[in-house]
Amino acid sequence: MIRDEQAIIEVRDLVKVYGADTRALDGITFSVAPGEVFGFLGPNGAGKTTTIRILATLMLATEGSARVAGFDVSGDPHEVRKRLGVAMQTPTLDAFSTGRETLELAGRLHRMPGPEVRRRAGELLELMGLESVAGKLTGAYSGGMKRRLDLASALMHRPQVLILDEPTEGLDPQSRTALWEELERISAAGTTMLLTTHYMEEADRLSSRLAIIDEGRIAVEGAPAELKRGVGADAVLLQFESPDGDGQLAEVRRLLEGLVAPDAVDRHPAGVALAVPNAGSAIPELLRRLEGDGLCIAGLQMSQPSLDDVFMKYTGRRIREEAADQPIILGS
Amino acid sequence: MTALAYETYHLGLRTTRRFLRVPANWMSIIFFPLIQLLIFSQLYQDVVQLRGFGGESDYLDYLAPGQVAFAAFMAVAWSAYGLLVEFRNGYMDKLRAAPIRRWSILAGEMVPLFFQAAAMAGVVLIVSLLLGAPLETGVGGFALILILAGVFGIAFAGASFIPALLTKSEQATNAFSLLLFPIVFMSTAFVPEALMPGWMQTVNDWNPITFLIEAIRDLMASGYDWGAIGKALLSLGILGVILQAVTLWAFHRLAR
Repeated sequence: MIRDEQAIIEVRDLVKVYGADTRALDGITFSVAPGEVFGFLGPNGAGKTTTIRILATLMLATEGSARVAGFDVSGDPHEVRKRLGVAMQTPTLDAFSTGRETLELAGRLHRMPGPEVRRRAGELLELMGLESVAGKLTGAYSGGMKRRLDLASALMHRPQVLILDEPTEGLDPQSRTALWEELERISAAGTTMLLTTHYMEEADRLSSRLAIIDEGRIAVEGAPAELKRGVGADAVLLQFESPDGDGQLAEVRRLLEGLVAPDAVDRHPAGVALAVPNAGSAIPELLRRLEGDGLCIAGLQMSQPSLDDVFMKYTGRRIREEAADQPIILGS
Repeated sequence: MTALAYETYHLGLRTTRRFLRVPANWMSIIFFPLIQLLIFSQLYQDVVQLRGFGGESDYLDYLAPGQVAFAAFMAVAWSAYGLLVEFRNGYMDKLRAAPIRRWSILAGEMVPLFFQAAAMAGVVLIVSLLLGAPLETGVGGFALILILAGVFGIAFAGASFIPALLTKSEQATNAFSLLLFPIVFMSTAFVPEALMPGWMQTVNDWNPITFLIEAIRDLMASGYDWGAIGKALLSLGILGVILQAVTLWAFHRLAR
Protein backbone atom coordinates (compact mmCIF):
# COMPACT_ATOMS: atom_id res chain seq x y z
CA MET A 1 0.00 0.00 0.00
CA ILE A 2 1.41 3.36 -1.02
CA ARG A 3 1.36 6.00 1.69
CA ASP A 4 0.96 9.62 0.85
CA GLU A 5 3.67 11.22 2.99
CA GLN A 6 2.22 14.69 2.51
CA ALA A 7 -1.23 13.84 3.84
CA ILE A 8 -2.15 14.78 7.41
CA ILE A 9 -5.28 12.65 7.32
CA GLU A 10 -5.10 9.47 5.34
CA VAL A 11 -8.00 7.06 5.18
CA ARG A 12 -7.87 3.80 3.22
CA ASP A 13 -10.68 1.37 2.48
CA LEU A 14 -12.45 2.07 5.74
CA VAL A 15 -15.29 -0.34 6.47
CA LYS A 16 -17.54 -0.28 9.52
CA VAL A 17 -20.12 -2.97 10.10
CA TYR A 18 -22.52 -2.60 13.02
CA GLY A 19 -24.04 -5.75 14.39
CA ALA A 20 -24.53 -8.50 11.82
CA ASP A 21 -25.26 -6.66 8.61
CA THR A 22 -25.44 -2.87 8.93
CA ARG A 23 -22.67 -1.61 6.69
CA ALA A 24 -22.26 2.01 7.79
CA LEU A 25 -19.02 2.46 5.84
CA ASP A 26 -18.44 0.49 2.70
CA GLY A 27 -14.85 1.29 1.75
CA ILE A 28 -13.99 4.97 2.25
CA THR A 29 -10.69 6.28 0.92
CA PHE A 30 -9.52 9.88 0.99
CA SER A 31 -6.63 12.01 2.13
CA VAL A 32 -6.33 15.56 3.38
CA ALA A 33 -3.28 17.76 2.91
CA PRO A 34 -1.98 19.99 5.74
CA GLY A 35 -3.86 23.30 5.93
CA GLU A 36 -6.75 22.07 3.82
CA VAL A 37 -10.42 22.34 4.77
CA PHE A 38 -11.95 19.06 3.71
CA GLY A 39 -15.71 18.81 3.67
CA PHE A 40 -17.85 15.72 3.96
CA LEU A 41 -21.22 16.37 2.40
CA GLY A 42 -24.03 13.89 2.58
CA PRO A 43 -27.47 13.18 3.96
CA ASN A 44 -27.97 11.96 7.53
CA GLY A 45 -27.00 8.33 7.86
CA ALA A 46 -24.52 8.48 4.96
CA GLY A 47 -21.58 7.50 7.16
CA LYS A 48 -20.09 10.92 7.92
CA THR A 49 -20.28 10.64 11.69
CA THR A 50 -19.02 7.06 11.66
CA THR A 51 -15.93 8.14 9.72
CA ILE A 52 -15.34 11.00 12.13
CA ARG A 53 -15.72 8.79 15.19
CA ILE A 54 -13.13 6.39 13.81
CA LEU A 55 -10.73 9.26 13.10
CA ALA A 56 -11.31 10.68 16.58
CA THR A 57 -10.30 7.29 18.08
CA LEU A 58 -13.78 6.86 19.55
CA MET A 59 -14.62 3.79 17.51
CA LEU A 60 -12.70 0.98 15.85
CA ALA A 61 -13.06 0.32 12.13
CA THR A 62 -14.06 -3.17 11.01
CA GLU A 63 -11.56 -3.04 8.13
CA GLY A 64 -9.18 -0.56 6.57
CA SER A 65 -6.80 1.97 8.07
CA ALA A 66 -6.79 5.61 9.09
CA ARG A 67 -3.81 7.78 9.99
CA VAL A 68 -3.89 11.25 11.51
CA ALA A 69 -0.74 13.38 11.64
CA GLY A 70 1.31 10.29 10.86
CA PHE A 71 -0.14 8.01 13.53
CA ASP A 72 -2.50 5.10 13.13
CA VAL A 73 -5.82 5.69 14.90
CA SER A 74 -6.08 2.15 16.21
CA GLY A 75 -2.37 1.42 16.76
CA ASP A 76 -1.34 4.74 18.29
CA PRO A 77 -4.52 6.42 19.52
CA HIS A 78 -2.75 8.37 22.28
CA GLU A 79 -0.49 10.18 19.77
CA VAL A 80 -3.49 10.90 17.52
CA ARG A 81 -5.45 12.33 20.48
CA LYS A 82 -2.63 14.74 21.32
CA ARG A 83 -2.80 16.30 17.86
CA LEU A 84 -6.53 16.34 17.34
CA GLY A 85 -9.31 18.72 18.31
CA VAL A 86 -12.82 17.34 18.01
CA ALA A 87 -16.22 19.03 18.21
CA MET A 88 -19.14 16.69 17.87
CA GLN A 89 -22.55 17.23 16.31
CA THR A 90 -24.23 18.25 19.54
CA PRO A 91 -22.01 20.27 21.88
CA THR A 92 -20.62 17.91 24.47
CA LEU A 93 -20.34 19.94 27.64
CA ASP A 94 -20.54 19.25 31.34
CA ALA A 95 -23.64 21.21 32.37
CA PHE A 96 -22.22 21.66 35.88
CA SER A 97 -18.93 23.23 34.81
CA THR A 98 -18.54 26.90 33.98
CA GLY A 99 -17.23 27.98 30.59
CA ARG A 100 -13.84 28.81 32.03
CA GLU A 101 -13.59 25.52 33.94
CA THR A 102 -14.46 23.64 30.74
CA LEU A 103 -11.60 25.23 28.82
CA GLU A 104 -9.12 24.95 31.66
CA LEU A 105 -9.81 21.23 32.07
CA ALA A 106 -9.32 20.71 28.32
CA GLY A 107 -5.95 22.46 28.56
CA ARG A 108 -4.92 20.46 31.62
CA LEU A 109 -5.78 17.16 29.98
CA HIS A 110 -3.49 18.18 27.12
CA ARG A 111 -0.71 18.82 29.64
CA MET A 112 -0.54 22.58 29.13
CA PRO A 113 1.19 24.34 32.04
CA GLY A 114 -0.98 26.35 34.47
CA PRO A 115 -0.22 29.93 33.34
CA GLU A 116 -0.57 28.93 29.68
CA VAL A 117 -3.91 27.24 30.45
CA ARG A 118 -5.27 30.40 32.06
CA ARG A 119 -3.93 32.69 29.33
CA ARG A 120 -5.25 30.54 26.48
CA ALA A 121 -8.66 30.05 28.14
CA GLY A 122 -9.00 33.83 28.56
CA GLU A 123 -7.95 34.41 24.97
CA LEU A 124 -10.47 31.91 23.57
CA LEU A 125 -13.31 33.17 25.78
CA GLU A 126 -12.67 36.65 24.40
CA LEU A 127 -12.36 35.40 20.81
CA MET A 128 -15.67 33.52 21.06
CA GLY A 129 -17.43 36.39 22.81
CA LEU A 130 -18.04 34.35 25.94
CA GLU A 131 -16.24 36.51 28.50
CA SER A 132 -19.44 37.74 30.12
CA VAL A 133 -20.68 34.18 30.74
CA ALA A 134 -17.29 32.59 31.51
CA GLY A 135 -18.25 32.11 35.17
CA LYS A 136 -21.73 30.70 34.49
CA LEU A 137 -22.56 27.00 34.31
CA THR A 138 -22.73 25.81 30.70
CA GLY A 139 -26.12 24.26 31.39
CA ALA A 140 -27.50 27.81 31.25
CA TYR A 141 -25.87 28.67 27.89
CA SER A 142 -27.83 29.23 24.67
CA GLY A 143 -27.31 26.85 21.75
CA GLY A 144 -24.94 29.24 19.99
CA MET A 145 -22.90 29.82 23.15
CA LYS A 146 -22.57 26.08 23.69
CA ARG A 147 -21.32 25.63 20.12
CA ARG A 148 -18.73 28.36 20.52
CA LEU A 149 -17.53 27.02 23.86
CA ASP A 150 -17.33 23.51 22.46
CA LEU A 151 -15.26 24.79 19.55
CA ALA A 152 -13.05 26.78 21.94
CA SER A 153 -12.50 23.65 24.01
CA ALA A 154 -11.42 21.75 20.87
CA LEU A 155 -8.99 24.59 20.08
CA MET A 156 -7.42 24.93 23.55
CA HIS A 157 -4.28 22.90 22.79
CA ARG A 158 -3.86 24.38 19.28
CA PRO A 159 -4.50 21.06 17.52
CA GLN A 160 -2.86 20.29 14.21
CA VAL A 161 -6.11 18.84 12.95
CA LEU A 162 -9.60 20.00 13.83
CA ILE A 163 -12.51 17.64 13.25
CA LEU A 164 -15.98 19.15 13.27
CA ASP A 165 -19.14 17.11 12.97
CA GLU A 166 -22.01 19.24 11.66
CA PRO A 167 -20.58 22.39 13.25
CA THR A 168 -23.62 24.60 12.66
CA GLU A 169 -26.44 22.08 12.99
CA GLY A 170 -29.36 23.62 14.82
CA LEU A 171 -28.00 27.18 14.83
CA ASP A 172 -29.98 30.21 13.71
CA PRO A 173 -28.73 31.82 10.46
CA GLN A 174 -26.97 34.66 12.30
CA SER A 175 -24.99 32.38 14.61
CA ARG A 176 -24.23 30.15 11.65
CA THR A 177 -22.67 32.98 9.67
CA ALA A 178 -20.69 34.10 12.71
CA LEU A 179 -19.36 30.58 13.25
CA TRP A 180 -18.41 30.30 9.56
CA GLU A 181 -16.37 33.47 9.88
CA GLU A 182 -14.69 32.04 12.95
CA LEU A 183 -13.87 28.78 11.16
CA GLU A 184 -12.45 30.73 8.24
CA ARG A 185 -10.13 32.58 10.63
CA ILE A 186 -8.99 29.30 12.21
CA SER A 187 -8.34 27.83 8.79
CA ALA A 188 -6.42 30.93 7.70
CA ALA A 189 -4.15 30.39 10.70
CA GLY A 190 -3.09 27.09 9.16
CA THR A 191 -5.18 24.49 11.00
CA THR A 192 -6.25 21.52 8.91
CA MET A 193 -9.97 20.93 9.17
CA LEU A 194 -12.24 18.05 8.41
CA LEU A 195 -15.88 18.95 8.65
CA THR A 196 -19.08 17.13 7.91
CA THR A 197 -22.24 18.86 6.91
CA HIS A 198 -25.49 18.30 5.15
CA TYR A 199 -25.80 21.97 4.32
CA MET A 200 -24.76 22.66 0.74
CA GLU A 201 -24.03 26.29 1.46
CA GLU A 202 -21.72 25.39 4.32
CA ALA A 203 -19.75 22.85 2.29
CA ASP A 204 -19.50 25.34 -0.56
CA ARG A 205 -18.34 28.23 1.56
CA LEU A 206 -15.87 26.53 3.89
CA SER A 207 -14.28 23.62 2.14
CA SER A 208 -11.40 23.81 -0.29
CA ARG A 209 -12.11 20.22 -1.25
CA LEU A 210 -15.04 18.00 -0.49
CA ALA A 211 -16.27 14.47 -0.80
CA ILE A 212 -19.89 13.64 -1.39
CA ILE A 213 -20.69 10.63 0.70
CA ASP A 214 -23.76 8.49 0.30
CA GLU A 215 -24.63 5.08 1.74
CA GLY A 216 -21.17 4.54 3.17
CA ARG A 217 -19.27 5.36 0.01
CA ILE A 218 -17.64 8.41 -1.49
CA ALA A 219 -19.61 9.20 -4.62
CA VAL A 220 -17.28 11.93 -5.86
CA GLU A 221 -14.48 14.11 -4.54
CA GLY A 222 -13.04 17.45 -5.64
CA ALA A 223 -13.03 21.22 -5.15
CA PRO A 224 -16.58 22.62 -4.95
CA ALA A 225 -16.18 24.70 -8.12
CA GLU A 226 -14.67 21.77 -9.97
CA LEU A 227 -17.52 19.49 -8.93
CA LYS A 228 -20.06 22.03 -10.05
CA ARG A 229 -18.32 22.37 -13.39
CA GLY A 230 -18.53 18.60 -13.68
CA VAL A 231 -22.30 18.88 -13.70
CA GLY A 232 -21.93 20.70 -17.00
CA ALA A 233 -23.70 23.81 -18.10
CA ASP A 234 -24.89 26.87 -16.26
CA ALA A 235 -28.49 27.86 -16.73
CA VAL A 236 -29.30 31.10 -18.60
CA LEU A 237 -32.86 32.38 -18.73
CA LEU A 238 -33.87 34.97 -21.32
CA GLN A 239 -36.98 37.04 -20.68
CA PHE A 240 -38.72 39.09 -23.33
CA GLU A 241 -40.83 42.25 -23.20
CA SER A 242 -43.70 40.50 -24.99
CA PRO A 243 -43.31 36.76 -24.87
CA ASP A 244 -44.79 34.95 -27.89
CA GLY A 245 -43.51 31.47 -27.16
CA ASP A 246 -42.45 29.34 -30.10
CA GLY A 247 -41.54 32.21 -32.43
CA GLN A 248 -38.93 33.58 -30.04
CA LEU A 249 -37.68 30.06 -29.29
CA ALA A 250 -37.01 29.42 -32.99
CA GLU A 251 -35.48 32.85 -33.41
CA VAL A 252 -33.07 32.33 -30.47
CA ARG A 253 -32.10 28.93 -31.86
CA ARG A 254 -31.37 30.48 -35.25
CA LEU A 255 -29.35 33.40 -33.87
CA LEU A 256 -27.25 31.25 -31.57
CA GLU A 257 -26.49 28.59 -34.16
CA GLY A 258 -22.92 27.42 -33.74
CA LEU A 259 -22.68 28.89 -30.26
CA VAL A 260 -25.37 26.97 -28.41
CA ALA A 261 -26.70 23.62 -29.64
CA PRO A 262 -30.41 23.76 -30.64
CA ASP A 263 -31.39 21.12 -28.04
CA ALA A 264 -29.80 23.25 -25.30
CA VAL A 265 -32.35 25.97 -26.02
CA ASP A 266 -35.71 25.25 -24.47
CA ARG A 267 -39.08 26.70 -23.65
CA HIS A 268 -39.45 28.07 -20.13
CA PRO A 269 -42.58 29.51 -18.42
CA ALA A 270 -40.79 32.86 -18.14
CA GLY A 271 -39.15 32.90 -21.56
CA VAL A 272 -36.40 30.82 -23.11
CA ALA A 273 -33.90 28.73 -21.14
CA LEU A 274 -30.38 28.00 -22.34
CA ALA A 275 -27.88 25.52 -21.01
CA VAL A 276 -24.48 27.13 -21.57
CA PRO A 277 -21.15 25.80 -20.35
CA ASN A 278 -19.15 28.59 -18.72
CA ALA A 279 -21.97 31.07 -19.07
CA GLY A 280 -19.93 33.85 -17.49
CA SER A 281 -17.59 34.11 -20.46
CA ALA A 282 -20.17 33.20 -23.08
CA ILE A 283 -22.63 35.95 -22.21
CA PRO A 284 -21.05 38.91 -24.11
CA GLU A 285 -21.08 36.95 -27.35
CA LEU A 286 -24.57 35.69 -26.56
CA LEU A 287 -25.90 39.22 -26.09
CA ARG A 288 -24.12 40.51 -29.19
CA ARG A 289 -25.87 37.92 -31.32
CA LEU A 290 -29.29 38.40 -29.79
CA GLU A 291 -29.12 42.19 -29.94
CA GLY A 292 -31.09 44.30 -32.33
CA ASP A 293 -33.08 41.58 -34.04
CA GLY A 294 -36.45 42.53 -32.71
CA LEU A 295 -36.31 40.12 -29.82
CA CYS A 296 -36.53 42.89 -27.21
CA ILE A 297 -34.85 41.13 -24.32
CA ALA A 298 -36.21 42.41 -21.04
CA GLY A 299 -34.01 40.42 -18.70
CA LEU A 300 -31.39 37.76 -18.35
CA GLN A 301 -30.82 35.45 -15.40
CA MET A 302 -27.84 33.27 -14.98
CA SER A 303 -27.45 30.53 -12.38
CA GLN A 304 -24.58 28.18 -11.70
CA PRO A 305 -25.18 24.59 -10.76
CA SER A 306 -25.34 24.02 -7.02
CA LEU A 307 -23.76 21.26 -4.97
CA ASP A 308 -27.27 19.90 -4.82
CA ASP A 309 -27.05 19.39 -8.59
CA VAL A 310 -23.72 17.66 -8.03
CA PHE A 311 -25.29 15.42 -5.41
CA MET A 312 -28.15 14.71 -7.80
CA LYS A 313 -25.79 13.81 -10.59
CA TYR A 314 -23.80 11.30 -8.54
CA THR A 315 -26.48 9.75 -6.36
CA GLY A 316 -29.63 10.26 -8.39
CA ARG A 317 -31.32 11.93 -5.43
CA ARG A 318 -31.62 15.41 -3.96
CA ILE A 319 -29.87 15.91 -0.66
CA ARG A 320 -32.46 18.43 0.50
CA GLU A 321 -35.34 16.01 0.43
CA GLU A 322 -33.59 13.83 2.94
CA ALA A 323 -31.81 16.38 5.02
CA ALA A 324 -34.46 19.04 5.40
CA ASP A 325 -36.41 19.33 8.60
CA GLN A 326 -34.68 16.52 10.38
CA PRO A 327 -35.45 16.93 14.06
CA ILE A 328 -32.42 18.00 16.02
CA ILE A 329 -31.73 15.52 18.76
CA LEU A 330 -30.36 17.29 21.79
CA GLY A 331 -28.48 15.38 24.44
CA SER A 332 -30.58 14.73 27.51
CA MET B 1 1.46 6.41 37.71
CA THR B 2 2.07 10.16 37.99
CA ALA B 3 0.06 10.58 34.80
CA LEU B 4 -2.80 8.62 36.36
CA ALA B 5 -2.64 10.73 39.52
CA TYR B 6 -2.47 14.02 37.56
CA GLU B 7 -5.39 13.10 35.33
CA THR B 8 -7.48 11.67 38.16
CA TYR B 9 -6.90 14.85 40.18
CA HIS B 10 -8.11 17.16 37.41
CA LEU B 11 -11.00 14.92 36.36
CA GLY B 12 -11.88 14.32 40.01
CA LEU B 13 -12.08 18.06 40.66
CA ARG B 14 -14.66 18.30 37.92
CA THR B 15 -16.78 15.34 39.05
CA THR B 16 -16.63 16.48 42.67
CA ARG B 17 -17.78 19.98 41.66
CA ARG B 18 -20.51 18.38 39.57
CA PHE B 19 -21.62 16.36 42.58
CA LEU B 20 -21.61 19.34 44.96
CA ARG B 21 -23.48 21.58 42.51
CA VAL B 22 -26.55 19.34 42.45
CA PRO B 23 -28.59 20.20 45.57
CA ALA B 24 -30.41 16.84 45.50
CA ASN B 25 -27.10 15.10 46.22
CA TRP B 26 -26.94 16.78 49.60
CA MET B 27 -30.34 15.31 50.40
CA SER B 28 -29.14 11.82 49.56
CA ILE B 29 -26.02 12.29 51.68
CA ILE B 30 -27.77 13.60 54.78
CA PHE B 31 -31.33 12.37 54.92
CA PHE B 32 -31.28 8.94 53.42
CA PRO B 33 -28.82 7.28 55.83
CA LEU B 34 -30.47 9.10 58.71
CA ILE B 35 -33.95 7.85 57.98
CA GLN B 36 -32.57 4.37 57.41
CA LEU B 37 -30.78 4.34 60.78
CA LEU B 38 -33.72 5.70 62.76
CA ILE B 39 -36.26 3.36 61.23
CA PHE B 40 -34.21 0.20 61.59
CA SER B 41 -33.11 0.94 65.15
CA GLN B 42 -36.72 1.58 66.21
CA LEU B 43 -38.33 -1.19 64.19
CA TYR B 44 -36.04 -3.93 65.42
CA GLN B 45 -35.21 -2.65 68.89
CA ASP B 46 -36.43 -5.83 70.58
CA VAL B 47 -34.37 -8.29 68.51
CA VAL B 48 -31.45 -7.90 70.90
CA GLN B 49 -33.37 -10.11 73.29
CA LEU B 50 -32.65 -13.06 70.97
CA ARG B 51 -29.92 -15.42 72.22
CA GLY B 52 -27.50 -14.85 69.30
CA PHE B 53 -26.86 -11.26 70.32
CA GLY B 54 -24.95 -12.48 73.35
CA GLY B 55 -26.10 -10.09 76.00
CA GLU B 56 -26.08 -6.86 73.98
CA SER B 57 -28.55 -4.52 75.65
CA ASP B 58 -29.22 -1.89 73.00
CA TYR B 59 -29.93 -2.86 69.38
CA LEU B 60 -28.61 0.54 68.22
CA ASP B 61 -25.15 -0.39 69.49
CA TYR B 62 -25.27 -3.53 67.37
CA LEU B 63 -26.90 -1.89 64.36
CA ALA B 64 -24.74 1.25 64.05
CA PRO B 65 -21.60 -0.33 62.48
CA GLY B 66 -23.75 -2.20 59.94
CA GLN B 67 -25.63 0.97 59.09
CA VAL B 68 -22.38 2.86 58.59
CA ALA B 69 -21.38 0.22 56.03
CA PHE B 70 -24.90 0.18 54.56
CA ALA B 71 -24.64 3.93 53.98
CA ALA B 72 -21.42 3.42 51.99
CA PHE B 73 -23.19 0.65 50.06
CA MET B 74 -26.06 3.02 49.26
CA ALA B 75 -23.58 5.60 47.96
CA VAL B 76 -22.39 3.06 45.38
CA ALA B 77 -25.89 2.18 44.22
CA TRP B 78 -26.40 5.34 42.11
CA SER B 79 -22.77 6.21 41.53
CA ALA B 80 -22.61 5.46 37.80
CA TYR B 81 -25.51 7.80 37.12
CA GLY B 82 -23.19 10.70 36.25
CA LEU B 83 -21.27 8.47 33.87
CA LEU B 84 -24.48 7.45 32.11
CA VAL B 85 -25.69 11.03 31.76
CA GLU B 86 -22.35 12.04 30.28
CA PHE B 87 -22.27 9.01 28.04
CA ARG B 88 -25.63 10.05 26.64
CA ASN B 89 -24.91 13.75 26.21
CA GLY B 90 -21.60 12.95 24.54
CA TYR B 91 -19.29 14.42 27.17
CA MET B 92 -17.79 10.96 27.61
CA ASP B 93 -16.71 11.15 23.95
CA LYS B 94 -14.85 14.33 24.70
CA LEU B 95 -12.95 12.63 27.51
CA ARG B 96 -12.34 9.55 25.39
CA ALA B 97 -10.89 11.70 22.61
CA ALA B 98 -8.47 13.35 25.05
CA PRO B 99 -4.89 12.06 25.37
CA ILE B 100 -5.44 10.50 28.79
CA ARG B 101 -5.45 7.01 30.24
CA ARG B 102 -8.77 5.21 30.03
CA TRP B 103 -8.53 4.27 33.68
CA SER B 104 -8.12 7.95 34.63
CA ILE B 105 -11.53 8.67 33.13
CA LEU B 106 -13.09 5.99 35.34
CA ALA B 107 -11.04 6.98 38.37
CA GLY B 108 -12.15 10.59 37.87
CA GLU B 109 -15.76 9.45 37.85
CA MET B 110 -15.19 7.54 41.10
CA VAL B 111 -13.53 10.35 43.07
CA PRO B 112 -16.82 11.84 44.33
CA LEU B 113 -17.91 8.33 45.25
CA PHE B 114 -15.08 8.12 47.79
CA PHE B 115 -16.22 11.34 49.44
CA GLN B 116 -19.90 10.48 49.16
CA ALA B 117 -19.47 7.06 50.77
CA ALA B 118 -17.35 8.59 53.54
CA ALA B 119 -19.82 11.44 54.08
CA MET B 120 -22.86 9.18 54.22
CA ALA B 121 -21.07 6.86 56.63
CA GLY B 122 -20.08 9.92 58.66
CA VAL B 123 -23.69 11.11 58.97
CA VAL B 124 -24.83 7.71 60.26
CA LEU B 125 -21.88 7.55 62.63
CA ILE B 126 -22.50 11.00 64.11
CA VAL B 127 -26.21 10.36 64.61
CA SER B 128 -25.48 6.97 66.16
CA LEU B 129 -23.11 8.64 68.60
CA LEU B 130 -25.73 11.25 69.45
CA LEU B 131 -28.21 8.44 70.11
CA GLY B 132 -25.73 6.85 72.51
CA ALA B 133 -23.68 4.37 70.50
CA PRO B 134 -20.09 4.02 71.76
CA LEU B 135 -16.91 4.96 69.88
CA GLU B 136 -14.02 3.63 71.92
CA THR B 137 -11.30 4.76 69.50
CA GLY B 138 -12.35 8.41 69.45
CA VAL B 139 -11.36 10.84 66.70
CA GLY B 140 -8.74 8.53 65.20
CA GLY B 141 -11.27 5.72 64.92
CA PHE B 142 -13.82 8.13 63.46
CA ALA B 143 -11.40 9.13 60.70
CA LEU B 144 -10.44 5.53 60.05
CA ILE B 145 -14.09 4.47 59.74
CA LEU B 146 -14.71 7.21 57.15
CA ILE B 147 -11.64 6.13 55.19
CA LEU B 148 -12.79 2.49 55.28
CA ALA B 149 -16.21 3.58 54.02
CA GLY B 150 -14.59 5.59 51.20
CA VAL B 151 -12.32 2.69 50.25
CA PHE B 152 -15.34 0.42 50.19
CA GLY B 153 -17.06 2.87 47.83
CA ILE B 154 -14.17 2.71 45.34
CA ALA B 155 -13.70 -1.05 45.71
CA PHE B 156 -17.39 -1.72 45.16
CA ALA B 157 -17.89 0.98 42.45
CA GLY B 158 -17.84 -1.64 39.71
CA ALA B 159 -21.16 -2.97 41.01
CA SER B 160 -22.75 0.16 39.56
CA PHE B 161 -20.27 1.02 36.79
CA ILE B 162 -20.13 -2.40 35.13
CA PRO B 163 -23.88 -2.75 34.50
CA ALA B 164 -23.97 0.93 33.50
CA LEU B 165 -21.22 0.52 30.90
CA LEU B 166 -22.58 -2.77 29.59
CA THR B 167 -26.23 -1.74 29.33
CA LYS B 168 -25.95 2.06 29.00
CA SER B 169 -29.34 2.18 30.67
CA GLU B 170 -30.26 3.87 33.96
CA GLN B 171 -33.14 1.47 34.48
CA ALA B 172 -31.00 -1.63 34.06
CA THR B 173 -28.32 -0.18 36.33
CA ASN B 174 -30.86 0.63 39.04
CA ALA B 175 -32.42 -2.80 38.72
CA PHE B 176 -29.02 -4.39 39.11
CA SER B 177 -28.30 -2.34 42.24
CA LEU B 178 -31.49 -3.70 43.78
CA LEU B 179 -30.24 -7.23 43.14
CA LEU B 180 -27.20 -6.44 45.25
CA PHE B 181 -29.15 -5.52 48.37
CA PRO B 182 -29.28 -9.13 49.62
CA ILE B 183 -25.48 -8.93 50.00
CA VAL B 184 -26.04 -6.46 52.83
CA PHE B 185 -28.83 -8.52 54.36
CA MET B 186 -26.61 -11.61 54.22
CA SER B 187 -23.93 -9.86 56.25
CA THR B 188 -23.71 -9.17 59.97
CA ALA B 189 -25.32 -5.74 59.43
CA PHE B 190 -28.60 -6.64 61.09
CA VAL B 191 -28.04 -9.86 63.00
CA PRO B 192 -24.96 -11.77 64.23
CA GLU B 193 -23.79 -14.80 62.29
CA ALA B 194 -25.08 -17.14 65.00
CA LEU B 195 -28.67 -16.27 64.05
CA MET B 196 -28.21 -17.05 60.35
CA PRO B 197 -29.14 -20.36 58.70
CA GLY B 198 -26.15 -22.51 57.79
CA TRP B 199 -25.90 -21.67 54.09
CA MET B 200 -26.07 -17.97 54.84
CA GLN B 201 -23.28 -18.32 57.35
CA THR B 202 -21.13 -19.66 54.49
CA VAL B 203 -22.02 -16.62 52.35
CA ASN B 204 -21.32 -14.38 55.29
CA ASP B 205 -17.85 -15.87 55.81
CA TRP B 206 -16.88 -14.64 52.34
CA ASN B 207 -18.86 -11.40 52.34
CA PRO B 208 -16.56 -8.35 52.05
CA ILE B 209 -19.27 -6.21 53.67
CA THR B 210 -19.10 -8.38 56.77
CA PHE B 211 -15.33 -7.82 56.99
CA LEU B 212 -15.96 -4.08 56.71
CA ILE B 213 -18.73 -4.15 59.32
CA GLU B 214 -16.68 -6.18 61.79
CA ALA B 215 -13.71 -3.80 61.46
CA ILE B 216 -16.02 -0.86 62.14
CA ARG B 217 -17.74 -2.74 64.98
CA ASP B 218 -14.40 -3.26 66.72
CA LEU B 219 -13.39 0.36 66.22
CA MET B 220 -16.66 1.45 67.82
CA ALA B 221 -17.09 -1.09 70.59
CA SER B 222 -13.58 -2.08 71.70
CA GLY B 223 -10.49 -0.57 70.08
CA TYR B 224 -8.03 -0.83 67.19
CA ASP B 225 -8.20 -4.44 66.05
CA TRP B 226 -5.60 -4.37 63.29
CA GLY B 227 -6.37 -7.97 62.39
CA ALA B 228 -9.98 -7.07 61.58
CA ILE B 229 -8.96 -3.85 59.82
CA GLY B 230 -6.36 -5.74 57.78
CA LYS B 231 -8.92 -8.38 56.79
CA ALA B 232 -11.37 -5.65 55.74
CA LEU B 233 -8.74 -3.86 53.63
CA LEU B 234 -7.52 -7.12 52.07
CA SER B 235 -11.02 -8.27 51.11
CA LEU B 236 -11.86 -4.81 49.74
CA GLY B 237 -8.55 -4.79 47.87
CA ILE B 238 -9.26 -8.12 46.18
CA LEU B 239 -12.84 -7.10 45.40
CA GLY B 240 -11.60 -3.74 44.10
CA VAL B 241 -8.97 -5.17 41.76
CA ILE B 242 -11.44 -7.61 40.23
CA LEU B 243 -14.25 -5.09 39.81
CA GLN B 244 -11.98 -2.32 38.51
CA ALA B 245 -10.47 -4.67 35.94
CA VAL B 246 -13.91 -5.69 34.69
CA THR B 247 -15.01 -2.02 34.69
CA LEU B 248 -12.01 -1.07 32.56
CA TRP B 249 -12.77 -3.91 30.17
CA ALA B 250 -16.39 -2.73 29.90
CA PHE B 251 -15.14 0.82 29.26
CA HIS B 252 -12.90 -0.32 26.41
CA ARG B 253 -15.91 -2.04 24.84
CA LEU B 254 -17.38 1.41 24.13
CA ALA B 255 -15.01 1.67 21.13
CA ARG B 256 -16.69 -1.23 19.33
